Amino acid sequence: MRGLQLSLNQTQKLRLQRALDQLESLSSKANSNASVAVADTIPVNYEDCVLKGHGTLELDGEVVATLCGVVERVNKLVYVRTLRARYKPETGDIIVGRVTEIAPKRWRLDINFSQDAVLMLSSMNLPDGIQRRRTAVDELNMRSIFEENDIVCAEVRGFQHDGSLHLQARSQKYGKLERGQVLTISPYLVKRRKQHLHYLEEFGVDLILGCNGFIWVGEHVEAKGTLIEDQTDKAEQLNTKSSSSTFMSLEEQERTYTSLETRQNICRIANAVRVLANLGFSVTVEVIKETVYLSSSLNLDIHEMLGSEFYVLVAEGEATRKSMFTKKKG
Amino acid sequence: MGSLKRKSTEDPSVERLSPQKQQREDSALLNTFEESVACIHDVSYPEGYEPRSSFSSSSRKDSKPAKEFPFTLDPFQSEAIKCLDAGESVMVSAHTSAGKTVVALYAIAMSLQNNQRVIYTSPIKALSNQKYREFKEEFSDVGLMTGDVTIEPNASCLVMTTEIWRSMQYKGSEIIREVAWVIFDEVHYMRDRERGVVWEESIVMAPRNSRFVFLSATVPNAKEFADWVAKVHQQPCHIVYTDYRPTPLQHYIFPSGGDGLYLVVDEKGKFREDSFQKALNALVPAGEGDKKRENGKRQKGLVVGRAGEESDIFKMVKMIIQRQYDPVILFSFSKRDCEFLAMQMARMDLNDDNEKVNIETIFWSAMDMLSDDDKKLPQVSNMLPLLKRGIGVHHSGLLPILKEVIEILFQEGLIKCLFATETFSIGLNMPAKTVVFTNVRKFDGDKFRWISSGEFIQMSGRAGRRGIDERGICILMVDEKLEPSTAKMMLKGSADCLNSAFHLSYNMLLNQMRSEDGDPEKLLRNSFYQFQADRAIPDLEKQAKNLEEERDSIIIEEEDSLENYYNLIQQYKSLKKDVRDIVFSPRYCLPFLQPGRLVCIQCTKTEENSPSFCIKDQTTWAVIINFERVKGTEDDASRKPEDADYTVDVLTRCTVSRDGVLKKTIKIVSLKEPGEPVVVTVPISQIDSLSSVRLIISKDLLPLEARENTLKKVSEVLSRFAKEGIPLLDPEEDMKVQSSSYRKAVRRIEALESLFDKHEVAKSPLIEQKLKVLHMKKELTAKIKSIKRTMRSSTALAFKDELKARKRVLRKLGYVTSDNVVELKGKVACEISSADELTLTELMFNGVFKDIKVEDMVSLLSCFVWREKLQDAQKPRDELELLFTQLQDTARKVAKVQLESKVQIDVESFVNSFRPDIMEAVHAWAKGSKFYQIMEITQVFEGSLIRAIRRLEEVLQQLIQAAKSIGETELEAKFEEAVSKIKRDIVFAASLYL
Repeated sequence: MRGLQLSLNQTQKLRLQRALDQLESLSSKANSNASVAVADTIPVNYEDCVLKGHGTLELDGEVVATLCGVVERVNKLVYVRTLRARYKPETGDIIVGRVTEIAPKRWRLDINFSQDAVLMLSSMNLPDGIQRRRTAVDELNMRSIFEENDIVCAEVRGFQHDGSLHLQARSQKYGKLERGQVLTISPYLVKRRKQHLHYLEEFGVDLILGCNGFIWVGEHVEAKGTLIEDQTDKAEQLNTKSSSSTFMSLEEQERTYTSLETRQNICRIANAVRVLANLGFSVTVEVIKETVYLSSSLNLDIHEMLGSEFYVLVAEGEATRKSMFTKKKG
Repeated sequence: MGSLKRKSTEDPSVERLSPQKQQREDSALLNTFEESVACIHDVSYPEGYEPRSSFSSSSRKDSKPAKEFPFTLDPFQSEAIKCLDAGESVMVSAHTSAGKTVVALYAIAMSLQNNQRVIYTSPIKALSNQKYREFKEEFSDVGLMTGDVTIEPNASCLVMTTEIWRSMQYKGSEIIREVAWVIFDEVHYMRDRERGVVWEESIVMAPRNSRFVFLSATVPNAKEFADWVAKVHQQPCHIVYTDYRPTPLQHYIFPSGGDGLYLVVDEKGKFREDSFQKALNALVPAGEGDKKRENGKRQKGLVVGRAGEESDIFKMVKMIIQRQYDPVILFSFSKRDCEFLAMQMARMDLNDDNEKVNIETIFWSAMDMLSDDDKKLPQVSNMLPLLKRGIGVHHSGLLPILKEVIEILFQEGLIKCLFATETFSIGLNMPAKTVVFTNVRKFDGDKFRWISSGEFIQMSGRAGRRGIDERGICILMVDEKLEPSTAKMMLKGSADCLNSAFHLSYNMLLNQMRSEDGDPEKLLRNSFYQFQADRAIPDLEKQAKNLEEERDSIIIEEEDSLENYYNLIQQYKSLKKDVRDIVFSPRYCLPFLQPGRLVCIQCTKTEENSPSFCIKDQTTWAVIINFERVKGTEDDASRKPEDADYTVDVLTRCTVSRDGVLKKTIKIVSLKEPGEPVVVTVPISQIDSLSSVRLIISKDLLPLEARENTLKKVSEVLSRFAKEGIPLLDPEEDMKVQSSSYRKAVRRIEALESLFDKHEVAKSPLIEQKLKVLHMKKELTAKIKSIKRTMRSSTALAFKDELKARKRVLRKLGYVTSDNVVELKGKVACEISSADELTLTELMFNGVFKDIKVEDMVSLLSCFVWREKLQDAQKPRDELELLFTQLQDTARKVAKVQLESKVQIDVESFVNSFRPDIMEAVHAWAKGSKFYQIMEITQVFEGSLIRAIRRLEEVLQQLIQAAKSIGETELEAKFEEAVSKIKRDIVFAASLYL
């Protein structure tokens, strides 16, 4: 049962089992028996010209899977979609990463991929917002933008010719994430959607569902100023700030202060994500919200959300939701 | 020289600019009077924007300008540079030769100084190459990116085509965050039907903090464009507009067959009516036989000339050389004409020996990079003798390298006489003293039309070399009558407006949907198209209001019953028409159109626009002479004889009035009125009814008396039957019309007729006028309705429905999921921007490329890049034909899905837009044939073929990316092999400008 470690009593066990069984029966129709393990032969019609996509290989005239997963077919293309593997980046994915190293003109980020991703200095907006070439000074000041272990949100730009993976930060929405927490879940639980950056207004919280399985829950930050703001003023401000940055001024502290309520909200949402991920449910903003509402309607404390009773309730809730959904569809 | 220039432009420009002056009222900055003489400066601010109090940022005012020029700047240049110094965007709208490049150079210098990147985009690869060279000489830190070459992509100043810039913005690139200035050259290309949308996308998506320099030909609505930029980017945008030409122009007319030039517009811009008339009188009309020929053949006289004489073009060039008006550019509108005309010059030699040696050296040193086989290409070897005599040809069908050699020779002054197509009028400064238009009509896809004033301005802009010629000369060769008004429109008309040519493409949608903050609707809302549509609304509102007032002011007594009567009449008329349509369908009436039959026809209406409200139409009698099938419709052969259109020649009384020289208006009048008996051709629909009476008519109707006699006979017959009326052919009994709808219509007509009698309004004496007033009112209402409809559609998002339909297509084909997340197929289609993305993606996913040979694949892909239709192209061999059929099937499927999803598309024309014409040639090229060998296979121009193969390589590169993204390594390798097979020799010979 997905390595779930919970101390359940007998009834809870039964209820959970029933809910999970129900879910399984609902979803089994969707993916038929097309799952393969490494070296399994994938049946194809050799009369047609078959295109062999990711996770396949031709071996002795047979198409063989090189990954465990589900066989997917698009027209003549056959490829294997992995179920629980490392994150595999695709161009345009929104990810959350952790800075591991600062290298010349670039940061290296851990993004749960088999290699570190690269974020070029030039792919980042400078703090002063001016469009210009990066200088040696900028390079020296890279730490003022991101330091090691900073959490950064970015977009996958794609693989470069040398095989390295590059990231980019297209707009002000991307960049350093502060005052919140990162959760690591299996990347397959995050489905690609149109939106990955969410602002949950009622909680005053930003939620970023990184495609790589890093989830960010943090205090909401207003999008940084528009371009009408005077750039020179801003630059000046920055200069004065950097000179006195060793001592955090009182004002600064005021600004970085997060209210208790927001902190609680952050934790509540984070726990909701944890519960869902542990149960192996896909994590979407709707389901997270529902789980949070469920916990608050039950008047549960934040820490109680990780108790076994809540797990069972969430599983049951999901089961009923899914069955309602399929009924509606049918 | 400077003073001379200023003086000569002063008065015309003041006069011309006056209508634009009111713009300056809302302009925040007024220039000194002296400057406003030569240019207009205006600023567009975004809504709610507070202009800064001091115009230029104080920091830079005291510092040295980023670049100093060795000559005094023209007012418009210094004005534009002031804006740049202030760090604000500017749109410069001026003639080609005015020197807009100065502004671009300054922007580049400024960016380099501030350690910022600058991007320069131009619409054409060749132009990018030339600009790259120009900038590289000036600043060293310059790179180039076109589809063909990439040089130093990390340089601070990047020259690229607009397409590359767009895809860079979609894909994301480091450059985007370092670009301070983006220069869009020839931004008026935005009105290009096919590619214009690229400019809109690039401008809308441009980085938020960057500034723009737009260089454009003179466009009257520059302000509108700047307003749009200001709105979309929330930043002020300046407009610097000037009509000023460094060298004034004189326009002459050369009437065909004549032997002299007539000055029609002098350098002051005055139109000389008298000499225009003289010129037209000197026009020797092409022989009578020529008259009836199609327009396309008009060129004949120009080329061949009449027997024994020299052709016009030869005379013309000879005269130009004698008067020392050279160098000269002769524009014509097709590649073939261009070559034909150049061949006419065979006997002319304009260069001395010294120049000949020079030309030969330059020519061969340029050709040096070609292989020996390629040097022997007929186009290459035929060109040199021509060039040596100082005559050049320049059109898109030339080998790119030849084109460049010719450009260089022309700039060096070694070519005295250049035959060029319109493309030569765009881009780099290559002026001549004289510009000749060998034709004033242009074929624009489906018909010949007068060249527009905008085109005229662009092309005549090549006349007059700054600093060398005191004035430029522009000669129009006219070979047919043209009205003074047409000529004026052409010569003195305003430049073409910059209108949006926005349209949607799947590639655009997918790219927008793929990125997190992209949204196709946002793009649409920000498009120039939408901006222009929104702008029209207040105008429409006003119109609607005026019309409504007018309508309400019309008051009619007894309106209700009158309206009732009006409706009855309308019904009655439409029924009558139905009946006539049935009876006079050729199937029924043809057997009765024998010569001599008396028919009743409708008189020509006196006033065209006012419909009559009598129940009876005005009719008269005529005699049938003959009938004829209308020819000319293309699908004539496929039509059955019953369905074709027919006209009937009848003899009747007409008034003939002649106005002007060529036009005759003939009016059919009733027999009793004065007029001549004339045989006229009328469409069947004008016949009211057929009588059963037939007259014997004399065979020869040429003499007037014979016709008069016949008409007399008609009158006799009429008076004989005066009492009981002429016996008519009964549709059912005589003509055997058997149709239930006919009978029904007839019954309803009878019913209506009885209603008319009962209607009390009908007896009112002023019924006619009253009905007319009512009709006017009705028309007004209809007009208001249609205006309101356009208003509604423009307040809604333009393209909204199409966007929906296209998204539907993408979902149906599995490119995106139901909640608009781009799927695997969509990601592949995202990569393909140089060919039809849907068809190509479908082909790929159907595995068509998988098992075929590389050559076959390349050959198949050639259908995607070749859109020209060849007349007598041979069919490709069977295996290629088979592949092509597969392509057509796929295309048809794609088109059908689009049609089902309510995208407006013509399935067959979409399928036929893929042309197999160069499949064989490309196949041979991929096999390793020499270029001269493949030229033997096809009939196409060398340059066109090379362009197609280059584009093919572009598509292949995109396919490599696509194959990568689906993880199909074999296919990727195959595409790469294909690239290596076609990328060789003359087709990919580097540009001379690099």
